[in-house]
Amino acid sequence: MYRNFFFFLNYISVLLMAVIICKHHRRRISCSRPSGPPPAVMALLYGLIWRLLLAVVRIKRATASWFRLSIRSWRERFWQRTMAALLLPVPMSELPVYPQAAGTDGGRAKRLSRWISDGKSLDKLPAHIGFLVAEEELSYTDVANMVVWCMAIGVSYVSVYDHHGLFQKNSSCLQEEVVRQQHHLLGGAHPEYQMEVLKSSTGRPQHLVVSCRPTVKVLSPEDGKPSIVQAARKLCHSVEKKEWSSKDISVSMLDVLLRESKNIPDPELVVKFGPVNSMLGFLPWHIRLTEFISLPSHRDVSFEDLFGALQQYSACQQRLGQ
Amino acid sequence: MSWIREGELNLLERISANILTAGPMPKHVAFIMDGNRRFARKKNMERQDGHMQGFNKLAETLRWCKHLNIPEVTVYAFSIENFKRSKEEVDGLMELARQKFEKLLEERENLEKHGVCIRVLGDLNMLPLDLQQVIAKAVIMTKNHNKCFLNVCFAYTSRYEITNAVREMAWGVEQGLIKASDVSETLLSECLYSNNSPNPDLLIRTSGEVRLSDFLLWQTSHSCLVFQSVLWPEYSFWNLCEAIIQYQLNHKSIQKARDLHREEQVLQQLEADCACVAEQLPHHGNGKPADAQRRQEALQHYTVAREARVQDFLEALKHKRDSFFTNLCSETVST
Repeated sequence: MYRNFFFFLNYISVLLMAVIICKHHRRRISCSRPSGPPPAVMALLYGLIWRLLLAVVRIKRATASWFRLSIRSWRERFWQRTMAALLLPVPMSELPVYPQAAGTDGGRAKRLSRWISDGKSLDKLPAHIGFLVAEEELSYTDVANMVVWCMAIGVSYVSVYDHHGLFQKNSSCLQEEVVRQQHHLLGGAHPEYQMEVLKSSTGRPQHLVVSCRPTVKVLSPEDGKPSIVQAARKLCHSVEKKEWSSKDISVSMLDVLLRESKNIPDPELVVKFGPVNSMLGFLPWHIRLTEFISLPSHRDVSFEDLFGALQQYSACQQRLGQ
Repeated sequence: MSWIREGELNLLERISANILTAGPMPKHVAFIMDGNRRFARKKNMERQDGHMQGFNKLAETLRWCKHLNIPEVTVYAFSIENFKRSKEEVDGLMELARQKFEKLLEERENLEKHGVCIRVLGDLNMLPLDLQQVIAKAVIMTKNHNKCFLNVCFAYTSRYEITNAVREMAWGVEQGLIKASDVSETLLSECLYSNNSPNPDLLIRTSGEVRLSDFLLWQTSHSCLVFQSVLWPEYSFWNLCEAIIQYQLNHKSIQKARDLHREEQVLQQLEADCACVAEQLPHHGNGKPADAQRRQEALQHYTVAREARVQDFLEALKHKRDSFFTNLCSETVST
């Protein structure tokens, strides 16, 4: 049905195009005569076609993501059925497949070892990965899932960001969710992952992380430009007090100031979720060399989606200006 | 090859341009022109020829932008990091730039006709002196044109630009023009090299790389980013159209995010002002807690004073920057 509609729209736009071309030609030929199609009519027509074009692109996008989802769910069902058919004796195969089969301890261990081996199969793993959620509705469970996956793969720092600052406002909610998902996905035998909530208003360096335990940071727009402004203000204050001269200020000085209040490496990879292609204020200073990969949505995101982004990252080559 | 290309779009292109311009158009587009060397390798050309092709494509792109009613274009021509490349290549690129800017000086009338204003963003002090002088001449020659704007980022990185802005503000503090507490997001934006232009609406990077490589980090925080896999010398009108459609699809949500950010910015400024007033008030009062009305008046008073300070400082900064260019120009006359 989608397809038919799509073709229909295409058909209309082609038809309209043809009309326009004819009109245009007539106008060009009859240039000398004052009677052509009035410009207002043309403007209206162009506006109409533009709307149509955008609608077509949107529909195309929606169908593409719909197909992606349906294929995935179909594939999952297919595998479940085949596994059931192979493992269970024939008369029992008609029973519904036990949905939480993967939730048992054996399943967990197997899954964890698969994630670890997947992580090892990558040539290059980011030390710091950022999740930029550019969608209206946030799903804490899915974000928590991704955090746990990253930790299992071996990413040391994970930043979570949305441009309304909601994650930071509700960071305790996210923290609970991460702990819950950790239990669910990895079982209880694993060390608690540390969760640090960054609030730029504190401004002071946070406690130093001595252990190499992975850290989750929750960022908001406050940590972007305002933190740069704060660092600038600090430098200007010390210039005011004659501690520094304005000529002493260098890139590395500002970098140290901005890093100190965060004590994290720059993110090597930012995965953006949602239809908006923009950084939306995500740490402007720190994304100098960050790879930017988009996924359509963070809702119901699967390990394979995230792993695909990581694979794409590991294939990227940076020349650093050379 | 000249900077300004004459010539109309063909029929199909013109129709598409008309359709696209019926929607919201970006007022300012930034390009990272990546892929010249890969193009040269692919075509078995000399590296320098690849860069040459890249420049020609830029001239063509400017023509398309003109027809698409895009008044401002910013391009990343040479990064500070690019100085790390082999001496031969760096020298070649400097030579190319010198040729092109000299060519630009010859095209004076044409530039005037189209009203093209050329600005060069970056630290010119890092370049050879003769190139600095040519650039200064071109910038001064076109500075009063106001129909279209081309910003060339040369010896530029965004971190350097931000640091430089901080340095300028510190200079203002040293000169006693502003106070450290006057430092704000708006003031920092005004001190960047790009202070004369609005933030880009659309940033296009070619050749399939998906990072910003230290280009306009501050300015593009709420811009639409489009990464295209085509190499820069192979860039076509249709690629540009595709990028613009991407922008139009994102237009509404980005606009919303921008508005949100602007509100936030105003709020922060107000907070900072209030903090400063609160610091001042106890000194003026007779030990009594200030009442609401007095506080309000003090706040207004403070805001006006701050704005005047900032205005004076920006004036001085502009003068400083202008005289840098005029000095460079007069040096050439005297030598």
